[in-house]
Amino acid sequence: MIGRTAAEAISEGSRLAEFSRLFLANRSAMLGATIVLIAVVVALLSSWLAPTDYARTNMLFVWEPPGDDFVLGTDALGRDVFSRLIVGARVSLTIALSVLAIALTVGTAAGMAAAWNGGWIDSLVMRTADITFAFPELIIAILVAAILGPGILTVIISLSLVSWPGIARIVRALVLTLRGELYIDAAIVCGTPPTQILLRHCLPNIVPALIVRASVGVGFIVMAEATLSFLGLGVQEPLPSWGGMIRDGLTALRTDPHLSLAAGAALGTTIIGFNLLGDGLRDLLDPRIRER
Amino acid sequence: MTAALELSRLSVSFPGQPDRLRVIEGIDLAVGPGEVVGLVGESGSGKSVTALAAMRLLPSVARIDAGAVHLGGRDIVGASRQELLRIRGAEIAMIFQEPMTSLNPLFRAGFQIGETLEVHLGLSRAEARRRAIELMRAVGIPAPEVRVDDYPHQLSGGMRQRVMIAMAMACRPKVLIADEPTTALDVTIQAQILQLMRRLREESGMGILLITHDLGVVAGMADRVVVMYAGMVMEEAPVRSLYAMPHHPYSRLLLKAIPRVRERADRLNQIAGTTPPASRFPSGCRFHPRCPDAIDRCRMELPPLETMPDGRKSRCWRTGEAGLPSMST
Amino acid sequence: MKPLLEARALSVHFPVRGTSMSGDSRLLRAVDGVDIEIGAGETLGIVGESGCGKTTLGRAILRLLEPTGGSIRFDGMDVTRATGAALAPLRKSVQAVFQDPFGSLNPRMRVSDIIGEPLRNLGWPRPRISARVAEVMEIVGLPPEYASRHPHAFSGGQRQRIGIARALAPSPRLIVCDEAVSALDVSIQAQILNLLKDIQRDFGVAYLFVSHNLAVVRHLSHRVAVMYLGRIVELCDEGRLYTAPLHPYTTALLSAVPEPDPERPNRPVVLEGDLPSPIDPPPGCTFHTRCPVAKPDCRATAPALREIEPGRFVRCHFPGSFRQAEVTS
Repeated sequence: MIGRTAAEAISEGSRLAEFSRLFLANRSAMLGATIVLIAVVVALLSSWLAPTDYARTNMLFVWEPPGDDFVLGTDALGRDVFSRLIVGARVSLTIALSVLAIALTVGTAAGMAAAWNGGWIDSLVMRTADITFAFPELIIAILVAAILGPGILTVIISLSLVSWPGIARIVRALVLTLRGELYIDAAIVCGTPPTQILLRHCLPNIVPALIVRASVGVGFIVMAEATLSFLGLGVQEPLPSWGGMIRDGLTALRTDPHLSLAAGAALGTTIIGFNLLGDGLRDLLDPRIRER
Repeated sequence: MTAALELSRLSVSFPGQPDRLRVIEGIDLAVGPGEVVGLVGESGSGKSVTALAAMRLLPSVARIDAGAVHLGGRDIVGASRQELLRIRGAEIAMIFQEPMTSLNPLFRAGFQIGETLEVHLGLSRAEARRRAIELMRAVGIPAPEVRVDDYPHQLSGGMRQRVMIAMAMACRPKVLIADEPTTALDVTIQAQILQLMRRLREESGMGILLITHDLGVVAGMADRVVVMYAGMVMEEAPVRSLYAMPHHPYSRLLLKAIPRVRERADRLNQIAGTTPPASRFPSGCRFHPRCPDAIDRCRMELPPLETMPDGRKSRCWRTGEAGLPSMST
Repeated sequence: MKPLLEARALSVHFPVRGTSMSGDSRLLRAVDGVDIEIGAGETLGIVGESGCGKTTLGRAILRLLEPTGGSIRFDGMDVTRATGAALAPLRKSVQAVFQDPFGSLNPRMRVSDIIGEPLRNLGWPRPRISARVAEVMEIVGLPPEYASRHPHAFSGGQRQRIGIARALAPSPRLIVCDEAVSALDVSIQAQILNLLKDIQRDFGVAYLFVSHNLAVVRHLSHRVAVMYLGRIVELCDEGRLYTAPLHPYTTALLSAVPEPDPERPNRPVVLEGDLPSPIDPPPGCTFHTRCPVAKPDCRATAPALREIEPGRFVRCHFPGSFRQAEVTS
């Protein structure tokens, strides 16, 4: 009784204000958001921020340590590490966001179709998801690379393949819960077609959960992309990627660790940023946690 | 004779914005030994908060701002946690609307009844179990020797409420607070539970504060009725005289708004508007925005709960006047 | 005259995983061979206790679930298993009002979109939808300027008005009301019941009114069906059913309703025991386990629903053997 009157007092506008207030008060979420924001800005402005051309080699200055001429030194081909790091941010985030977009679209559509129709469609979708989920991303990437050869497209396809089942499962579970809501019954009774019910009634209600899932998932995708590039299955020279840079640095790790360290630090910080942001958003948006 | 339970000038507030919300205000209420007092009101009237305050079971954010809760002649508003643990169960007990949420799903029914006995009367485990079976038989649970080992989910709604009542009765409390005890039950099961409560009252002589929105249940159970609206007592009267001639316009209109099973009315008398939440309790008489009898004075000044010569109480400036609009419809 | 809606031998059986060790699946007969007709502009009440199948019956009529047996004809058309376009006439002309005024409105949609939803599905142009939304809001007593608000800004009673406005928008010929006033306070319940009556008088819509509340059903219905364990046990006009019930279950049910009248309290026939499970209904007459006048015959053979007077159907071997007179004396 008390709860209901209190809930009535919260209007739509103040709900957003309440969300902002709680988010700003959450320190780790704010730290995560700041890191992510910096990474995104760097990626967007990489062409202007990079001091030199990331691909220009200079055999006179190989394995330069960090100093005045090269902020973070140079690699085995004398390329500017700082510039490559900045462009690498663009490459990593572009891949991560593409994978996210594909996985969210496919996963949401598949999860909704499975939940709404049930029966053989449900079985087909969920068994397919189980099968792709059972393979490590590495095996899938090797299989895809065997067909398409290594490269950005291979990374995007293989990471999308491993990412959509998780989203499909969440969406399916949420839609199944929503199907029990009376307002969904009310929509069916007044003749709303299933696609409209899913888009107008279900989707807005599962968006918060998807945002949380996506922000946690990005960290994983960035990491997986680095792994694939590290192994040479992903981004190809001369385009830089953080995973590839860590690998390049390994050959001289004892004498010139700056390359691996710089790329590793960039990778680690970005992943931590996404994870902190994701955890913070989950605390705020996930109703199971918010309901005390 | 002293009342078994007496609330005087009791006020409770909850946190709100910008100020705390006074959910109940100056509640006066007494339950004598062996008496059944019906506390009637709609949602938001504060009847459940009143019950929880009487048990000192309010959530931690709530605050008793003023007033006293006398139990057997002593005020328990200031009682410590230890004292309350001793009092609850032994002197005052409570049953709730949804027995499933009040029973622990992980423990057997008999154990939950026996636990109270172990704590309050210091009985041994075996002795407590024997008493639990007796109590279950007393509240009409068939085959209690078997049922004593059932988990709550194995029992039907009516049986769960009987287990709750057995728990409440375990230490022979002087007062039982029953908060919507039959609202979640079907009518035929409700009839069983009400009959059981009547019998237990006669056998044990305990006082019962029966909280309900159902004026039919009150009519058949209560000796005296207290009508609450928007956090205040509006009227108090013996059950027969209240139903025969309600003094407060709210009680009058409420009685005329109920559909009856014995006769079919063409149209029900409706009360305009909605019950206000605690954040928007009106000034003056809290019922005035919905009252057909309201005059200027009702909008400005809060009427006191006045005791009339016949001992009844009513909170209305126009009590005693004849030919009011609320009487004609 | 041809009925607006006609259900013949309607059954809804759910498979349940066996709780026994064998694990074979059994059938929960939620609705088991129900025959009903509803004429244009008529209200058919369905009463019964929880688990009697009344809500499932309503959901089957709404085609929220597919019947496992029997047929449903709406306006002469068989819609028992219709899907897609074949279901369109039903979706336009049969609407629903649900019990929970909080759960039945999408919290993320505006009132105008909620009420306009059935019209959008019919392909109405936007200006026409807005005009109709304003019109139905007026009819149900909501200020049209509230159209842009979200449901949480409204009280329970107002939300139920929004639900009624949505049902009314496409000018349906039948509205299924599932416990439509059960969650509301007495004073609000009276408003909504009066509103439903006004709507029927003004627009000639028929109701299938499902409720556990016998008084509310009497108030609104022309004819009433009493359900027990998935079957209709008695069906006739409201007057005869409430004043002289013929089935012992109807008699017991009516006697159990607490009357808001301390001078003439009800004397409930206390039915022994709980409702049997609809998975394993008792053999013979399913009511014999609780029937106060059961005879050996009742255990052996199941009675059929017989028309023993014109328009009066009873499923009992000995109709009228258990009279209200024995209850009130």
